[in-house]
Formats: sequence, structure tokens, C-alpha cells
Amino acid sequence: MLDNILSILIFFPALAAVLGFVVHKDSIRSYGVAVATIEFALALLLWFFFDNNVSGMQFMETIQLVPTFGINYIVGVDGISLFIIILAAFFTMIGIASLGETKDIKNMIITLLFLQMTMVGVFASLDAIVFYVFWELSLVPMLYIIGAWGGPRRIYASVKFFLYTFAGSLVMLVGMLFMAYFYYQATGQWSFAILDWYRLILPESFQLWLFVAFFFGFAIKVPMFPFHTWLPYAHGQAPTIGSVILAAILLKMGTYAFIRFSLPLFPDASVYFMFPIAILAIIMIIYTAMVAYAQKDIKQVVAYSSVSHMGVIILGTFALNVEGISGSIFLMIAHGVVSGALFFLVGVIYDRRHTKMMDQFGGLASVMPRFATIFGIMMMASVGLPLTINFVGEFLSLLGFYQQSHILTLLAGIAIIVGAIYMLAAYKKMFFGEVTKEENKNLPDVNKRELIALVPLVVITIWLGIYPKPVLGPINTSVEAVVQLMHEKATSEEAKKRIPNLDILINKTSTREAH
Amino acid sequence: MELFLYTALFSPLVGSLFAALFGASPRTKIAGIVPSILLGVSLISSTILLVLVLTTGHTVHVEMMTWMATGDLYIPFGFVVDQVSVTMMMVVTLVSTVVHVYAVGYMDHDKGFNRFFAWLSAFVFSMMVLVMSDNFAGLFIGWEGVGLCSWGLIGFWYHKESATWAANEAFIMNRIADLGMLIGIFLIYWNTGTLQYAEAFAAMPGLDTDTLTWIGIFLFIGAMGKSAQFPLHTWLADAMEGPTPVSALIHAATMVTAGVYLVVRSNELYALIPHIGLFIASLGAFVAIFAASMALVNRDIKRVIAYSTLSQLGYMFVAAGLGAYWVALFHLMAHAFFKALLFLGAGNVMHAMDSELDPFKMGGLGKTMKGTMIMMTLASVALAGIFPLAGFFSKDLILEVAFIDNHYIIYTVLLFTAGLTAFYSFRIVALIFHGEERYKLFGFHPHEAYKFMLIAMSPLLILAVIAGSFKMTYFEMVTYVLPATEYHVHNPAVYWIMTIGTQIFVIIAIYYAYKIYMSRDIKVPDGTSKMEKSFGYKLLINQYYIPYFYEEYLVKPYRELSTLCWTKIDQKIVDASVDGIANAFYKTGENTRTMQSGNLSTMLKWMVAGTVALLSLAVVFGLAARHSDEIKAILSALGV
Repeated sequence: MLDNILSILIFFPALAAVLGFVVHKDSIRSYGVAVATIEFALALLLWFFFDNNVSGMQFMETIQLVPTFGINYIVGVDGISLFIIILAAFFTMIGIASLGETKDIKNMIITLLFLQMTMVGVFASLDAIVFYVFWELSLVPMLYIIGAWGGPRRIYASVKFFLYTFAGSLVMLVGMLFMAYFYYQATGQWSFAILDWYRLILPESFQLWLFVAFFFGFAIKVPMFPFHTWLPYAHGQAPTIGSVILAAILLKMGTYAFIRFSLPLFPDASVYFMFPIAILAIIMIIYTAMVAYAQKDIKQVVAYSSVSHMGVIILGTFALNVEGISGSIFLMIAHGVVSGALFFLVGVIYDRRHTKMMDQFGGLASVMPRFATIFGIMMMASVGLPLTINFVGEFLSLLGFYQQSHILTLLAGIAIIVGAIYMLAAYKKMFFGEVTKEENKNLPDVNKRELIALVPLVVITIWLGIYPKPVLGPINTSVEAVVQLMHEKATSEEAKKRIPNLDILINKTSTREAH
Repeated sequence: MELFLYTALFSPLVGSLFAALFGASPRTKIAGIVPSILLGVSLISSTILLVLVLTTGHTVHVEMMTWMATGDLYIPFGFVVDQVSVTMMMVVTLVSTVVHVYAVGYMDHDKGFNRFFAWLSAFVFSMMVLVMSDNFAGLFIGWEGVGLCSWGLIGFWYHKESATWAANEAFIMNRIADLGMLIGIFLIYWNTGTLQYAEAFAAMPGLDTDTLTWIGIFLFIGAMGKSAQFPLHTWLADAMEGPTPVSALIHAATMVTAGVYLVVRSNELYALIPHIGLFIASLGAFVAIFAASMALVNRDIKRVIAYSTLSQLGYMFVAAGLGAYWVALFHLMAHAFFKALLFLGAGNVMHAMDSELDPFKMGGLGKTMKGTMIMMTLASVALAGIFPLAGFFSKDLILEVAFIDNHYIIYTVLLFTAGLTAFYSFRIVALIFHGEERYKLFGFHPHEAYKFMLIAMSPLLILAVIAGSFKMTYFEMVTYVLPATEYHVHNPAVYWIMTIGTQIFVIIAIYYAYKIYMSRDIKVPDGTSKMEKSFGYKLLINQYYIPYFYEEYLVKPYRELSTLCWTKIDQKIVDASVDGIANAFYKTGENTRTMQSGNLSTMLKWMVAGTVALLSLAVVFGLAARHSDEIKAILSALGV
């Protein structure tokens, strides 16, 4: 079974989703929980059998699809993708388990299981076309979740979400086709396998164009400033579960793809575009934090804060050294846990009061003390307090980038100030002060169903904040290989200088020049 | 010995978690007693460690586990008990234990009793991590941890707008400084390759002065936030919104001294960059007099003591900046004792007066609150630096340091500030405990605090009196790790003139304070007197208009700019362009739809138009291909 564990992980939820159509409506919830739990157990099994000392791909499977054009079903995991897959399985599980009163609950659970297939597929696939297929397929369930269960402007929000990200990925697809063509020119055969592409050294001018093409696809997904405006609408209209999955997993596709594609394929271009991207990241961090501060709707605060933190992830990625990239991958996990939890928490209060406007609340700390405590812990994690999961990622990302630029890191570090400002202000508005509204006086505290989702998230937040090694170790091993590969592939002097040489052997075959 | 180290470190955490278990339940005494006992355990363990360090000179160093490791970065949870950290541990555990026991009485009517002890013990744990860590990252954990607990405790009465506002202000202002600290840590890592104190300091002499200067500056920015140095000082006075035991523990004895501790800990770095040291000393002297001046007129006893703390922190930075690290640490210790005592005394007064803070509404309380009066008076004598109390040995020493190092301006400023200190301290003592019983007008019924609260305070009283006698033992101990510069004025005549002169000056100040504020004419100020209308008074009572300036020119613009970013830039520019592009497609589709009307003659017309367009394109391309050489020539002539 271990040989095919990745395929099982990808297709088991899809199969279960199809079978879900014949399950009776009353038992669909337990069916969904069971499937998602099995899936999560499988993901843990994957981690258990994962060899921490191997930097390359593990559990690889290959099935030929279109051999003439080098399109194959290739999947595998390394330290970079492993934990995002586990996170995806985890969030689907607690998401289904804590699902509240929902209309058409059967369709919702089937959609979520289908979404899970696409998420695991994206992070596991090592063939560009298969990757692209999962990447695009993931839009469909999310479109449906927003469009069917969303708020009043759900159609606008979902169409915007779909078209915007779709437009970006089309540009990316063109980039992929060109990449395969260059590979064909260099070697005489077609291949869409990412590991094959890794061995191809492109001239810098080609790299720049391809980098830009991929960049559009990834940047819209992240979403980077100025391509971020679809996100507030999507979050604003999406139901809680949609927002949670969107923030926790779907956004990570963009940042993950930067590390999987852009960095190792185009090391010179990465160095060339490092400063422009860093500046975009800094704008993202500060500007969206300010926008978050101006919000009146708590969900929008969390949505914009999520964009702001993604800026730190981008910055860490483009630090181009082990500290920064490891930090940014760790921060992806951290951001998933923390912003996922924050969206859950917003959902808790929305279920009770059917409003997300902060001025409708106040003094909730005395009415719902447990809720206030959990919210407080997650807020502090979001602010990046040491011994919470976020700090490890943020610290390493900023530390890494400091090697590249002092002044830009100083600017990016403003994240810790502006982040505290909007979060504390929002917390104060919601939880502190007197209870003024009559409706708020008897709100019930968090119930068992909600705690199922929240308690594990709190535990992870603190556990990985104190002891990040089990996750950071494997990430580190794989990142070292990526950095070394980038250093070896880099052609320009500048890039050789910027990307450190770690002097480690990576299992590579010969590299070929493209013309 | 490791056992004692872990006990000292973790028993406050256990206490905090224990109290947190009762967080949502109604108040139970046990939630306060157990953390207090556990702190006592921590105090005993610290004492054992102190004895060990004192007698053998050995230090204890443990590495518990790895925290972060990636690339070349390796950060463990490592703890060290050496001469410096054991001094801090003693101060922290001693004052915390006293404050915990005191708070069992002070908070006994409060709904949030259990929550209070959870936060307070968590604070002690963070503070222990801060002082015991053996690396900068561990220090930063404690650094942020105390910031968090300070936030929770300042805003403890969260239904009060002013309290939560002050809590957020403190947190955000500290965050600004923490950014500096973080950058300092990054600089250390990329230049020395490690964050462990021992290795990093060992590597520092090999770095160039510019780098060291930057490291020194950024670390000190961090210190400025926690120790509330100008211009990041406004949060400390506002932090007085928290319960009084919190002010005693966090905002007088321990957390605010973290900045001084950082400079003392980094003495090997600052020894290499004396020009930064001089800057620190100058800023310290400035803050000393600046804060003391605001304390002169304030009408809130807690704020007066807070400004006094600020002023004394300035003294400590003068000592640390001038390289007299052991003197700074000694004053830190002595100050912790008498200032905590002063705050707890103020707490008794507040309790007696139903949380009234204006000393003008008190007067004559000495009759009902004899114990508190004696304690606060002695604490004020110690603070003023009268022989033979603790302040004399620690504070006058700082004056001597400034004098011996030939920094006469700093010396003069500090000397003058010593007079101010004596004056404002006894101003509130006189107003509270002596003179007419003005409180009767307002219908208060003061009573003395519980006996056990007074007993709990007594260790601080004893230490405030006798701490000076430890000076030599202490000196011999800490100079294992700190530079052992002795500060003696060599000319005996000069020495005696200085010492006696200072004493006389201070005593005169005390005398004036009593004379003015004990008089029967003291009325509750109503804004009509001549003094209250003077420019100087207005300047001081408004804290030099600095909070006003921050509010008007930083907070408000930030808020407005944020709103602008959202409503104008994000919605009107960024998002509108996206929608604009989408609309352009919609509109084009909408407008060209009529072409597909299904009418045969219309379709034929479009077909002809299309054919013509294609043919003309073909002609153009054909011509271009034939004359490509000439076109290229023309283009290159144009410089394309």
C-alpha cells in the first residue's frame, strides 16, 4: 500500500465523494467525518514512513499518460510538500467534523471531499500538466461553495474569484508549454516532468520571460498586491468552511509553486526579480495591514491580515537562502493553522449573531470567556508572539531576508508593529468594554462541536511554536537541496553570489544546456 | 543543581497554569494561594543557586532542548545561572513572592481573582526566561512574553476603556522597540553566526566598529521600549491603569528593568563602543530629569511613582552607559525593593480610599494607617538616597561614577534630579498622610489594610533599609563576569564635600516638601490658582504635550491614512481597474452582439468587410516582406 499511498491519498476522497451521492442524508455527516479521518490517518502514515534524511522525492509513482509529449502522471512528496498535504487532510477533517447547521449538507460534504482531492493532487504532482489540471480543478469546488452557500453578493464574488485566478493560470500554462518546448529543444524529447526540468539550464533572457509568465499564475493565487482584490470578496461572501479552506490551504498553492517551480527552474531570474518582488511583498505587508486596520467587519480584518502575512512568506521565499525558504515554508503551515483558526472563530460568532460588524459587539470577554481566550491565543499567534507557531516562520523568513537586504528587512519588520495594531484594535472592539447590546448579553460560549475544530488548532499552535523540529527538520533537508541546486544552476555572477553554496551533494544527473 | 534551576524557572509556570484552570470559574482563594506557594518554591531554589554561586563561584548552564534549527542557525532552549542572572532571579522571585501574597489580599473582592493570578505568574515565568536564557532568542521569548503579560494585566479591568487603551498602547509601543531588537538579533546572527551569548560576545572584538555600533544601537532601541526611555516613555504612565500589585511588580521592579539588564548582559559589546555608551548615559540623564519634572505636579499618586520609576531607570542607564555595569545592576536591585514597597503602600492607600488617586483629596491618613505611613515614608527616604538606606549606596554611587568619569554635565543633572526626587516623593507622603483630613469632605472612610498584607510587605521594607550593607559581597560576586571598576573619589576632601553636600541638598528638598504640603492651607486644586494657570505647570501636567502630539500627529494620521488606503486606493484604484478590465470585455461582447443578428444581408456585409480587411493585411505584409531591407535601414536610422 505504501507504494501507492499518494495515489490513494489523492483519489480516495474523490471516490468517497462519488459514493457519497448514494449515502442517506441523515448519515452523510458521519460518513464525511469517517472518510476525512481515514484520509488524515493516511496522511499521518505518510509522515510516519517519510524518511527525514532524504532531500529528494519519496513515494514516487509514475504512470504514462501521453508518452509522445512527455505527459505522465508523476506524484511524489518531499519535505516541502509533505506538511501542506497533512495540513490539507487535517483541515478537511476538522472542517467537516465541526460543520454547523448547513442547508444541503450532503452537497457540501461531497464538495469538500472533491476539493480535498484537488488540494492533495496539486501538492503531490510532479508533472506540470497534472499539476495544472489539479490547480484548475480546485477552483470548481470553491466556486461552488461560495456560489451556493455564500452571502448576498455570492455570485459576483465567486465569478470574480474564478475568472481572476483562471486568467492568471492561463498565462502560467503558456509558460509551462514554452518550458516543455525548451526542454524538447535541448534534449530532443518532450517532458513535462518537473524533475526533468530541474536539470535544464536556461539562458537568463529565457528565464526572465518564463519567470514572469509563471509569476502571474502564482501571484494572483497568493494573492500578491496588486492582484489581491478578489480575496476580500471571496472571504466576505464565502461560508465559514469555505474561508477556512481558502485561507489555510488554497492560498498556499501560490507560495508553494514559487518554491517548486520559480526558484529551482529560474535561479537567475529569481535573483533578478528578487528586489522588485521584495518591494511588492513589503507593500503587501504594510498596505494590507493598514487596510485591515480600517475595516469594520471582523472577517475582512482576518482576510486582509491573511494577505499581509502572505507577504512575509513571499519575502522569506525570495531570501534565497536556507533560513529564509525554510522559514517561509514553515510560515505557510503556521499561517494555515492560525488564519484557518481565526476564520473558524469568526464563524462561531457569526453563527450566533448573524453579523460580522465589530461595532455590534463589545464586552464579549465577560459573556464568552472561553471564546475570548481561544481568540486571544490565536490573535497573539497571528501577531507573532514567540512560542507560537507563527513566530518561528516569521522570524526565520525575516532573518533569511536580512542577508539580502538590511533596509528592506527593516521595512518588512514593520509587519510586527502594524500586525499588532489592527489585531489588538479589533480584539478590543469585540471583547473589551461593557456589553452594550441586549442581544449580546446571553450569547452561549463555544460548544463541543466548535471545540473539536478549535482545540486541536490551539494545541498545534503552541506545540509547533515550542518544538518546531519535527516539521522544520524535514523542511530544512529538502530546502538545502533546492538551494544547492539553485546555486549550481545559476549562471550569472550576481546569482552565484546571492544564492549560498552549501557544498552538499544532491542526487542529480547531468545538467543540459538549452539553446 | 540543574534541578534547582528548573524548579526556579518552571514553578511559576505551573502556578500560572493552575490558576488558569480556574479561569472561568468564580473566585477561589486556592487559585491565589497555590501560585504564591509555588513562587515561594521558586524563591527558595533561586536562593540556593545564589548561595552556590556566592560560595563556589560556579555557574550552572543547561541546554534543555532544541528550539529552532535550520541552515546554520541553531537556537536551543538554554539557560544559564551566573552572577548576573542569579542577581536578577533573586530580585524577580523575591518581589514576585511578596506581590503575590499581597495580591491575595488586595484582589480578594475582584471577580477576576483567578485570572489575575494566572497572568501574574505567567509574567514571572516570562521574566525568568528573560533573565536566565543563554542566548538572544531566548531573551526575546521572555521579552515578548513579559510584554504579553503586561498587556493582559494593564488591561485587566477590560470593561474600562482607558485600561484597554493603555494596554494596547503599551503593547504597540513595545513592539516598535522590539523591531529594533529583532534587527539587532539579525545583525548578530549574520555577523557572528550564532545567537549564544558566550560565542557571540567572543566573536565581537573581531568585527568592525560600524557593525558593532549598529548592533549596539538596535539592541538599545529594544531596551528603550521595555525600559520606557524617551521617546517611547508615554506607555509607562498610562500603564498605571492596571491593578496596583501589577504596577509594583511589572512597572517598577522587574519588567521595566529588562532594558537595563540587556545592556548589562551585553557589557562586552558596549565596552567596545563607548560612544554609544555615552549616548545611553546622556539619554538616561535626560530621562532622569525629564521624568522627575513631570512627577512634581502630577495629581495621581500612582503616576507620580511611575514617573519616579522612569527617572530612576534613567539613573541606571547612566551607570550602564558609562561602563559601571555592576553599579547599574546594584541600583536596579535596590530600586526594585523600595519602589515595589512604595507601590504596594500606594495600593493600601487606594484600598482605603475606594480607589481615589488624587493625594489632594486625602491628607491626615497617617492617623488611621500608621503601618502604611511608616513603610511609605521609609521607602521614600530610601528613594531619596538618605544614609544609611539602600538608595544612598546605590544612587550616590551613580553620581560618583559620573563625577569620576568627568561627565560633569551628567553629574549636575543627576544631582539636581536627586533634589527633585526627594521633593516629589515627600510631596505625596505629606499630602497623603499629614495635614488636614481633607478626605472627610468627600465622605471616605479609610481603614488600614489587612495585617497579612503589611506583613507581606515587610521583607521589602527590611531590604529597602539594609540593602546597602550587601554592597561589598555583591561587588565581589558580580565582578566575576562584569568589569570590576571601583569608583572612589581619591581626594578625601572632595569626597566628603560631595557626599555631605548631596545629603544636605536632599534633606532641604524634603524639608520644603513637608513645609509646603503639610500646611493647613492646602485645598483641592480647582484650576483657579495662579500656579495652575502658569505655563510651566500646564506644560508639566500635560506631560510636555507629548501624548497629545502622538495622538494628533501619529495615531490620527495613521487611522486616516488606513481608511484612505481602503476606501480610495484599494476600492477605487486597485479593484476598480480589475473590474474595469472585466467590464471592457463585457461591454465589447455586449456591443458586438448585434453583429450576430441572423439577418442574411447584415452577415454578408460583415463578410465582405472581413475579406477586405484580410486582403489589405496580406498586401501590407507582402510589401513589408519585399522591402524588409529598406524598412530595417530606415528603422536603424531612426535609432530603433
